[in-house]
Amino acid sequence: MSGSPSTLHSLRQLVADRFPAAARTRAGGLATGVPGIDRALGGGLPAGLLTELVSAAPSSGGQLIFTRALAAARAERRRVALVDGTDAFDPAALSADSLRHLVWVRCRQLSLALAAAEIFVRDGNFGLVALDLRGASAAEQHRVPAAAWYRLQRAAEQGGAAILVQTTQPTVPAAAHRLILEKSLLLSVQTEMRAEVIAALAPAIARQAPLREALAG
Amino acid sequence: MKFAVLQVRDFALQALRRTEPGLAGQPLALIEGEGRKAALTQVSAEAAGVEPGMAAPLAVARCPGVLLRTRSAPAEAEAQAALLAAAFSLSPRVEATAPGVCTADLQGAEKAETRQRAERLVADLAAGGLVATIGLARTPLLAAYAAGSPQAEAERVVLLEDERAFLEPLPLAVAEPNAAHADLLARWGIRTLGALTAIGKADLGRRLGGEGVALWERAAGETGRVLHLAKLPATFAADWNFAEPVETLEPLLFILRRFVDRLGLELRGAGFAAAGLELELTLDDGTSCRRTLTLPEPSGDTERLFRVLHTHLEQVRTEAPVKGLRLTALPVRPLVKQPGLFDTGLKDPHGFAESLARVAALVGPENVGTPEPAATHRPDAFQLRTPEELIPPEGAAPVHPAHGLVLRRFRPAWPVQVELAGSQPRRIFGAGVRGRVAASHGPWRESGDWWRELAWTKETWQVELAEGGLYQLAQDAAGWTVEGMWD
Repeated sequence: MSGSPSTLHSLRQLVADRFPAAARTRAGGLATGVPGIDRALGGGLPAGLLTELVSAAPSSGGQLIFTRALAAARAERRRVALVDGTDAFDPAALSADSLRHLVWVRCRQLSLALAAAEIFVRDGNFGLVALDLRGASAAEQHRVPAAAWYRLQRAAEQGGAAILVQTTQPTVPAAAHRLILEKSLLLSVQTEMRAEVIAALAPAIARQAPLREALAG
Repeated sequence: MKFAVLQVRDFALQALRRTEPGLAGQPLALIEGEGRKAALTQVSAEAAGVEPGMAAPLAVARCPGVLLRTRSAPAEAEAQAALLAAAFSLSPRVEATAPGVCTADLQGAEKAETRQRAERLVADLAAGGLVATIGLARTPLLAAYAAGSPQAEAERVVLLEDERAFLEPLPLAVAEPNAAHADLLARWGIRTLGALTAIGKADLGRRLGGEGVALWERAAGETGRVLHLAKLPATFAADWNFAEPVETLEPLLFILRRFVDRLGLELRGAGFAAAGLELELTLDDGTSCRRTLTLPEPSGDTERLFRVLHTHLEQVRTEAPVKGLRLTALPVRPLVKQPGLFDTGLKDPHGFAESLARVAALVGPENVGTPEPAATHRPDAFQLRTPEELIPPEGAAPVHPAHGLVLRRFRPAWPVQVELAGSQPRRIFGAGVRGRVAASHGPWRESGDWWRELAWTKETWQVELAEGGLYQLAQDAAGWTVEGMWD
């Protein structure tokens, strides 16, 4: 028997409000700077766990969230690996100084992307490993065997990095958290301050790690 | 305990075996001489029934699977260099006494620590394919006796403390009497060193002359000598020519493993670490392939050095088989530094370099790195450089805060057909994206490099499709494309 994600989220929020010291992220987690995510995950992307961010609709802000997490890691001087499954990252979106902590892997095959991600996840030098599979077709994403995701999860437990997997539909069975961006943004956001756009992003929570896991300090 | 002797029994045989991967565990014998005079000189333990001095046909008859080989001078030179490097890690005063034998002067060394180091050294040499014994004693001769004793064969390291008790049961042949003396002493019933020294030095001298005195001194272990000191290697290099050109990785890795073990010992013995490795492969077509592999931090760890080579070679494709190789370690003094309290360097620089190399082997080295903008205004122009070891503090925040979403690029851009309403796009038709344009911003006109052949000019729009999705639409001389999605 399990409660709905929203119920769990409410319960977690209640615990966080009552016992703020207990509601910190797992040691080494990364606060993304996106309030809608940091609140939902109890402080940010948890270390040693997989978080899946599903961009169910086009232009729903998934890349913006990654960019914000990248900036947050830069502020903390933590190293980030981006395994770009379809070579879509645009370095021009950020200044050169904002990218000095980034290791970008450009690849076009899902199997290579997974293998590269696993190497970096095991490495232990990274604060965040992001695996972007959004350009791959739904069929390709589903062809990844579940065992590959569980292996990545086990590697994450050893390496201690926060893992962000970006997909276009729920794909990662081993994800501790699954966040879904369901709504396409309108052209009018292009004239808004980026900080305001980020503040307004509120992904839906489709899966939440067990409460004891999320509260573990 | 003032001297150490490192000894490798059946040296030529062991040297050959450690350079050819197929010989491990096989019955093997070395043959010397030609025609009827050809006889076996050294025999491996696996060759049952075969003994040194036996003729080749008899050896093959007794052990049909025995491999008969001649000595390999390059293999012996390489093994001798490894043994010498091992001796240098015990002491800077070392003599290359004979093939497979090195003597080190240990004056001033602490007994227990030296014994531990000797035991580690034996293990290191065994990992490098050389089964060695070490004798530690008061004189070079006694140390040699200890290294060659049956006790050393069992224990590998023998520290000689009770010399008398050790020498007494040893056979007379250990003191190397000449043939006449050996025969005479045998007739006297003297078969051990203890029996010989019981005669007394002066009495033996009266009967056998000066040579008898020298024999007595050798039997008592009293003979001292000055070592002919070898020099530390000036360069840390090893090279090898294959008998047959090789096309696969395994033979290369096998010999490189030996080289790395030896160079690691040499570097440690000289107080250096490797800042990098230079590997040159000589190909069968006369060309060569050279690569310098820089380490993220100087290291003398042979496992790390070997991993760097292994990872590099996994990416290498040559036009012709490899007929030789040369490996050079670039020495530096080991880095001694205290990290700053707020430094955010790498937890494991070697692991990081290894991970980068492994990923580069997967996706190609040109596809891994830290992006930085190229010196041009051309869109999507950047280069990837090697990631920095230390992440510096952030620079000043940009003067103009960013707006809106960020672009996810389609590489290459998707070609589309565009229907215009006036100057604005109204509908897009393409394989990856299509639909009615609900709203648009633009055009922005950009151009650059007009003074070069690569001059470019284009107009871009930001468009929102009625079904959802914000895209960057571009038009240039080649037509319309969707360059990416704002996300």
